[in-house]
Formats: sequence, structure tokens, C-alpha cells
Amino acid sequence: MLKEELVKKNPLRVLHPAQGDACPDYRMGLVIARAGLGKTAILVQIALDSIMRGQKVLHVSIGQSLEKAKAWYDDIFRHLVEGQSSEKVVALDEDVLRSRMIMTFKESSFSRPKLEERLNDLVYQNIFRPDCVVVDGLDFTAADRDSLLDLRELMVAMNVQVWFSALSHRDDTRVSTDGIPAPCHEVGDLFDTVILLQAEQQGIRLEIIKDTTGCASPEVALMLDPSTMMVKAV
Amino acid sequence: MKKKIENVRNIGISAHIDSGKTTLTERVLFYTQRIHAIHEVRGKDGVGATMDSMELERERGITIQSAATYCSWKDYTINIIDTPGHVDFTIEVERALRVLDGAVLILCSVGGVQSQSITVNRQMTRYKVPRIAFINKCDRTGANPYRVAQQIRDKLGLNAVMLQLPIGLESDLKGVVDLITMKAIYFEGDQGETIREAEIPADLLSEAEAKREELLDAASMFSDELMEAALEGTPTEEMIRAAIRKGTLSLDLAPVLVGSAYKNKGIQTLLDAVLHYLPAPNDVENTALDLNDNEKEIVLNTDPAAPLVSLAFKLEDGRYGQLTYVRTYQGSVIKGDTIVNSRNGKKVKVGRLCRMHADQMEDIDGAGPGDIVALFGIDCASGDTFTASEISVSMSSMHVPAPVISLSILPVDNKSQGNMSKALNRFTKEDPTFKTFVDPETNETIISGMGELHLDVYVERMKREYKAEVQVGQPRVAYRETITQRAEFNYTHRKQSGGSGQYGRVAGYLEPMEEGVFEFVDKIVGGAIPREFISSCDKGFQKSLEKGNLAGAPVTGVRAVITDGAAHAVDSSDIAFQLAAIGAFKEGYMKASPVLMEPIMKVAVEGPTEFQGAVMGSLNQRRGIIVGTMEESNYTVVEAEIPLAEMFGYSTVLRSLTQGKAEFTMEFSAYKPVPKNIAEGVIKAYQTEKSKK
Repeated sequence: MLKEELVKKNPLRVLHPAQGDACPDYRMGLVIARAGLGKTAILVQIALDSIMRGQKVLHVSIGQSLEKAKAWYDDIFRHLVEGQSSEKVVALDEDVLRSRMIMTFKESSFSRPKLEERLNDLVYQNIFRPDCVVVDGLDFTAADRDSLLDLRELMVAMNVQVWFSALSHRDDTRVSTDGIPAPCHEVGDLFDTVILLQAEQQGIRLEIIKDTTGCASPEVALMLDPSTMMVKAV
Repeated sequence: MKKKIENVRNIGISAHIDSGKTTLTERVLFYTQRIHAIHEVRGKDGVGATMDSMELERERGITIQSAATYCSWKDYTINIIDTPGHVDFTIEVERALRVLDGAVLILCSVGGVQSQSITVNRQMTRYKVPRIAFINKCDRTGANPYRVAQQIRDKLGLNAVMLQLPIGLESDLKGVVDLITMKAIYFEGDQGETIREAEIPADLLSEAEAKREELLDAASMFSDELMEAALEGTPTEEMIRAAIRKGTLSLDLAPVLVGSAYKNKGIQTLLDAVLHYLPAPNDVENTALDLNDNEKEIVLNTDPAAPLVSLAFKLEDGRYGQLTYVRTYQGSVIKGDTIVNSRNGKKVKVGRLCRMHADQMEDIDGAGPGDIVALFGIDCASGDTFTASEISVSMSSMHVPAPVISLSILPVDNKSQGNMSKALNRFTKEDPTFKTFVDPETNETIISGMGELHLDVYVERMKREYKAEVQVGQPRVAYRETITQRAEFNYTHRKQSGGSGQYGRVAGYLEPMEEGVFEFVDKIVGGAIPREFISSCDKGFQKSLEKGNLAGAPVTGVRAVITDGAAHAVDSSDIAFQLAAIGAFKEGYMKASPVLMEPIMKVAVEGPTEFQGAVMGSLNQRRGIIVGTMEESNYTVVEAEIPLAEMFGYSTVLRSLTQGKAEFTMEFSAYKPVPKNIAEGVIKAYQTEKSKK
């Protein structure tokens, strides 16, 4: 009950309508922004929204600790269920814990074969079968097109959707023809949906600059509340 | 010798098991001339290290109980508590941290920050203990202190700053570069006792300069004077040290030193760092609760002439009777003084006062604020506060986790029976997480504690130290019961058996509340139950909580609210209302959908990455939720939440799965409901056992 309510009122419905059957099972999404604008917060909200929709999520954190990733989930979850009765929240919290797994890698040790090996460990032993994978902290300046293609193939083969975060830099002004900034300007075609975060006077604006799935509604204006880091419709 | 309080350091040495803390302590005692020869933990001479004073510890090569010891270095007094490394004994670690002002966190330069260090670090943060890190074992193959320093930042969240660089690594380790004095330091002589300062080797100079820049950047945050001097290129050693000290004391900086205790390198410089950067007792604010003023918190002062406030933090059964380790926070304790145990108001005379050096002792006449000493022949429990008779304060209560596992023990003969009770009496006084009681139904003696190893060690100690042979039963999980919904009760207790009878009616409701607590609420209006019997109702409810109706486990997380009742002018009594409340609880309890709860442990398994799949599989089979995995270069930590009931014997399973290369730690996380199918089994077993009696 609570889950349905949370799914319904989540502004992220613009990415994925509640009746999402028309959307493909796999989707490669990208959240791109400059440092400190809230990429991780968006990824965690996308992950929690998937969990609320009954999916299992694998959160891959590159270069950050397990504790930090857990703290993000705790924080965002707390905001999400604000004002709900504590009994329902406790039950839901347990549900979230069962539907989420976090893997952290060192920057230097992350690669597609490694991720595949870890995923196989989970899937073959029936420990955890993710429907959605979020990858936070991948260094796109060092990731070549082949390795991303590789990752896309893996996700398609496993029938999961995957969301990445990418860090852009103020001094790198290169942009692809469809408006995707560096360092992803040359690999933008690999992504089905791209969200750009931009700092504005009123807060941080989420702009869906690309969507080929037909599920998203780019015309809806979304902002990130800087005090809670929660997405809200404006 | 009287010492100024500024020249006292009370430090703990905490680390992951096998990081070499006992070896390091041994060196410290040698260099501070408390001992005259160095013995290794698993040394060939069979003597064992000085701090491992219990026979069992020597045999296993681990430190179980923290031994306090006193030494002096360059006109400073250092009291060292050697703390145990295994998480099953964390109460020892926590208790030690409570009485210490600063700590040295030892890390292995190969193993890095391991799960136990994370636990210990968390405990240090809880008790606000400033710390310095010592990266040990730089002589070992695969040593990489820079990686470990980075791990201190990443995994422990500390602002780690290297104050030294190693000169050479692994078998080439020669000494250290001091980034403050910009000198190379070599430790020469058979046991590294001669220190030689020299110029920094040319090949290390540019690295040393870069690291010094990092150090100055970090330290400047705590001193404007240093920041200006650094910009002008004229920082002095004193300025740098003062800034590092300030940052360390405010827990905003963690100085990192390097060396190898086994190869006698870097110990004297570590001792210097203890003096420079860790707090003196008067740098730390300690508080106590004023028992005469509604337990108001008061700040203690380190004036030796102020009334005494001290804490008994550890008991030991020595050759000459009970030894009580005491830390004084305020005032002084003098031989011949009468002091008061604030828990029970008992007055005791200080007969003999000692400074402890592992298992040898030195008689002293008195101890001032900040000192750690041992008292003889005083009957008390761990955690008791001793004060001067004119004040009545208590040190704030220590965080004591509830036991999660129990075992039945049965002495094999009469002699063992007597010895066993002596041993249990001692252990329960020494360790508040170790509890014992006789089950009134089975007449078995039950011991309970924080984990399998915790209880194992006490069973072994009973055998070795007290010659008490016991048969040990299967470990049992400490279940709890709670309710999940509100339910009403309206119960009348009536008994007529000639003479005055018993009468009491209690009505109201039970409702769930947060785990671990019970609340009794009196909402009676108009005196339906006379005032004098309200507390009888509370007593009755409290009694009912001891054993729930499902599986005989304690009940928690319940609020009992009474709203109505009735009394009889002649037949109502304290006992009548107690029994009425017990009946009322029983009536309401079964209607309130009671559930069985079990302890869930936070388990961290650490081992080579190649075994990650197998480890996750083994955890998954144990009704576990795998929270996440952390992959380092060649090893992985898998973190999971698993019911304690599923963890029995896991160490053996893990050993065989990983060729002994992985290890795990666990600590209590929370009580959570037992899945229905498993709860049914537990409840059925209890009911069958009950019906047999």
C-alpha cells in the first residue's frame, strides 16, 4: 500500500510512468553534472523508485565506501517516507534492505569482466538477481567506447536497466550534437536516456536532454531541492 | 615521583588481531626500561610477551584481557592499556576506551584497515578518543604504508596525515624520515635502542618534500600562525607540532607514523608522538552525574586537592586477592583514605595501592587525577564509581550491550561445582557482558555473553585457572518476544480460601512500542484502583515480562496502560493486584499477536577476492541479507545481516571454504522477528519441554 502510494507521487514518474509495461526492460541511462550537484542523490532516488516498483537493485559504487553508499540510501529513504507511520516504515525499510545490494570497487579495479563475474556469483547462486543496476562514480574520461559498449551488451543480455553517473567539468566545453556534454559527448549514442543537472538561481534543474525509449516526459520541469537533495516537480 | 598532570598520558593500543600490538607494547616497555628483555608473542623462548599475562593468551598467541601497565618516557608518565583485538571481547575494548584519553591505532602495512579496525575506530569515535595511527610491519613482504594511509582516510573517515616516510620497505626497511624535522632516523644496536639522525637519503628527498607540503597544508588548518609561517617558508618544529596536536585533540586530524615493532624500528618516535599529540588528562573534559541533584551532569576538574572521583574499570583475580584497576578523574586517592562506592554507599579503606606493570606491581602511596592504579582487596564490580565521602557522584553509565547467546554448563564432579561458582562469581564481576544464572525449571547453570568465542574463553579459563571441569551444552540464542498490535485486557483476580481473600481487577490495554523497552502507564481516574496498589500492578506486569507465553523468552517493546479496575476494602492487597496484573497481561498478550524475536548480527567477512562467491553463498544459506561488498585490490569484505542462530560453527565452515584465508567478525545489530516457519519450531520445542516437566 505504502509502496504504491510512494510510487504514484514520485516525481520520477516522468522517467518511467507507473504503468511501465510499454518501456523496454533494459535501458541505459545517464545522469551527468558537475561536481556536487547531486548525481548520487538522483541515482539513489532512481534505485529506490525501482525498489518501490518491486524490482531488485544493485548499486555499484566506484571509489566510495560501503558506509557512504548506505548513508545515501538511509537519507533519501528517510525523506521519501517522511510523515508516514513508523510501523509501515519499519516494514518497508526491511523490504528495501532485501531488495538492494551495494558493491564498492576501487577506481582502478572496476572493469566489465569483474562486474560480470560478481553478477554471475550472485545470479548463479540465486543470491540476488538485479533488475536495475546503478553505477556511481565511473570515470568517463578514462572509459573508452568499447568498454561502455561491452557494459551495454552485458546489461542487454541480462535484461536489466542500468543508470550511470558522469562528472562533467566547467572548463571542458565540448558538447555532442544532441547536447550531451563532455566527457560523454562521444558516447552519448549508447545511452537511451540522459539527464543533465544544472545549477540555477532557484536550485538545481533536471533536464531530460535525450530519451529514445518513449517512456520519459521531458516536458515536465523537475528541480532538485538542495536542502534535502530530493527531486520535486515545479 | 610526583608528576605534573600535563606530563601524564593514558593511552590505549587498539588494533585488528595479529597487527602486532602485543609485540609493539613489548618494545615500548623495553625502551621505557620497564622490562629488560624482549619476548615475542609466539617466541621460541616460551616466555611469551609481558602483556599477555594469562596462560591461555600465551598459548593462543592473542590478548584476551587488557592488562594495564605503567611506564615513563622522557619525563612523562604513560599508562598503557593493551586492548583485545577480537570483537567478541569488545566490552573490554570499550571499557578501556572509556578510561583512556588517547589511543594508538595499529594497522598492518600489508593487511591495511581490516574490519576489526573499523569497529575499534567506531568505538573510539563514540568515546571521542583522539588517536594516532601506527602502520606496523613495514618490514613484511607486500608492505605498502601509503595504501594503508589512504585506507585510513577512505575506510575510517579520518583525516590521516603522514608524519613520517619509511626508508626502504619490506626487507630493506632501514628507518624513517621525520617530515617535521626533515631528518632521517635510524634505529641501531641489537634491539634498535640507539637512535641516529642523519640527512634524508637523496632518492627520498623530493618525495619527503612533497609529503611535508601535504603535512603543512593539513596542519595549517589548525593554526593561523603556522599558515602564515608556511607561506613565508619559515615554519618551526614547535609550530607544526602545536598545530598537529590541536587537530588531533579535536579529532580533526589523525597523525600517521610508520615502522616495524618486530624489527625494532619506529617505536621511540611513536612514543615521542604520544607525548606530542595525544592529550594529557586535563585536556579532556570528563563528566559525572551528581546523585544529589537529580543526576545532573557535572564537569570534573583535575585539581589533585578536589574531592576524589574515580572509576573502577577492571577487576582481576590476582595472586593476592582481587585487584581493582581504577582511573582517577578528579582529586587524589591516598593510601589509608576511606572512599565510598557510590553504587551502594559502602565505605572502603584503601589498604594497598599499586602501579601495575603487566603482572608485576610497584607499591605507591597515592595517585592524583588522571592516574591509573590498582587497589587491593576492594569488593566491587566493574564500572563502580569511588568517591570521597563528602560528595555523591557517579560516572555516567557505560554502554553495556545485552548478551545474545547462552550455554548451559554442568560441573562434572563436586570439586568442580565449588570451583565453578567461584569462577563465575569472578567473571561476572569482571565482565558486565558475561552473565550467569540458574534456570529455575531445568536447574542448569546458564552462562550468556556476546558470542561463541566469548563463552569458549570463559569455559577454558574455568578449567585452567579454577580447575573446574564442566560439560557444555548446545549454544542457545537469546530470543525475545514482543507484541505487534494493541489488545485490551480486563481481568479479575479473586481467591477465597478462608480468612481474608484476594481481590483485584485490572483493565486497560497493551500496545507495541520500540524494541527493548517497557513502559507502564497509569491512566486511572477516580481511584478505581487505590493509589497504593498502582505500583503492585506495575510489579505484576514486570514479572510477566520475564517469560513470554510463546517460548519463555523475555518480553520487550510493550506499553501496558491501565485505565480501570476495582478493589475490595478487605480482600485487596499488594499481592492480589500483582496477580491480577499477571493475569491481565496474559489475557492481553495472546490477543496482541505476539511474535518471537531473534538477535540479528552484523557480520563482515574479509578474505581474498577469489573466494567472494563462495563466501556470499555461505552467508546466503544462513538466512542472511547481504548488505554489500567492498572490493579492495586483492581482497573483499562482504557485509551481511544474519540471525545469530545461523552463525553457530560458521568459523569452521568459513575456514574450509577459503582454505583458512578469510576471517569474520560479528557484532549485535538488532532484534528482528523470527520467520514464521522457524518460530513455530522454536515455540513447539519450548512447549514440548514445558509439558514434560
